Amino acid sequence: MTVIRALACGLLLSTVSLAAHHSFAAQYDADKPITISGTVVRVEWTNPHMHFYLDVKDERGTVTQWAFEGYPPNMLVRQGWKREVTLKPGTAVTVAGWRARIEPNLVAAREVTFPDGRKLTAGPPAGTGGQ
Amino acid sequence: MNNHHTIRLTAALLIAAALPLCAIAQSNAAAKQVPRAADGKPDLSGVWIATGALRLMAGEAELAAARQFDIAAGRAPAPPAEPPPYTPEADKRRQYYLDRRGIDDPMARCLISGVPRISFRPLPFQIVQMPGQMIFLYETHHAFRIIPTDGRAHPDDIEPSYLGDSVARWDGDTLVVDVTGFNDKTWLIGVGTVHSEKLRVTERYDRDTYSTIRYQVTMEDPEVFTKPWRTEETFRLRPGERIREYECIENNEDLLRIERLLQNESVFKRP
Repeated sequence: MTVIRALACGLLLSTVSLAAHHSFAAQYDADKPITISGTVVRVEWTNPHMHFYLDVKDERGTVTQWAFEGYPPNMLVRQGWKREVTLKPGTAVTVAGWRARIEPNLVAAREVTFPDGRKLTAGPPAGTGGQ
Repeated sequence: MNNHHTIRLTAALLIAAALPLCAIAQSNAAAKQVPRAADGKPDLSGVWIATGALRLMAGEAELAAARQFDIAAGRAPAPPAEPPPYTPEADKRRQYYLDRRGIDDPMARCLISGVPRISFRPLPFQIVQMPGQMIFLYETHHAFRIIPTDGRAHPDDIEPSYLGDSVARWDGDTLVVDVTGFNDKTWLIGVGTVHSEKLRVTERYDRDTYSTIRYQVTMEDPEVFTKPWRTEETFRLRPGERIREYECIENNEDLLRIERLLQNESVFKRP
């Protein structure tokens, strides 16, 4: 009985494989996760992806700008984001995601951690580009 | 009540009896009646999202709630997806796109996804049921389908298109949509699921509970398949949700990035 219930409760199979707007795996490397902190410089609240930019300071104090790609605004809004409220220039945030294959300072953002510890989903999980 | 529904009801009762703990929380929602239009047919009107898109659109908690709902309602889960029954030649084409990790996805260029792929996107769609026609409004790509249900046939001047031409009829309580007149520029579901202009899609929409539509789709294409390809999904009602604007090409930086990647394929291709 327990086994049957566990199986039945756990089964909700979807036959559908989902990709983001573009193939994640062609542009980003799921084997290169990164967590990086910096200060928000600007936000592009646009389709088909939000982009935002952080000034990131390394150990020597050198500042480099990093670019992050995330969900489109419609998906962000449905997950609790608000334009010009949630992510503001000047805010220190930490972003977890995956690095791009060729652009050295580009990241597919998965989750943003805000100064008060709140975390919001910013983009899809890593994809494989199909089977 | 036809056999189909009798079997479903019997299965529902058996599962509900076997899973009392799962069933209690959602029993009220599951018991809500399917609304009917003036002609007595189920009314499919509402804003819907594919179950497979719930995790991306709404998070894990909503997916778990959907699981609980299905158990309470005695809904069987959709069967596992079959692989596309491609001919060897079509399978090679699919493998080519898989090896390129989907970089050739037409959607990345903001082209309209076809049927059924557009229904599986993580943005909702709205069905507006009217006498004689159904209107499908997809947030993805701002796309729409106007589907006659008054018995008319496909027009005789169809130009191949991304979403094809749809006409529908009722089979009992199930809306059956016949779609033809496709171009060959879309992928059917996942990466590299190619097809030809000979594609014919049959969709079955069965509002089996107030909150769900059981969606069964059959794809036939003699140029790429050795037999029809079938898959199934559940669309979930999204009360309070509305269709928003989505202008894909607005700031599609991916186009430039894809061009850069294509100059050095070894960077992204599978070894």
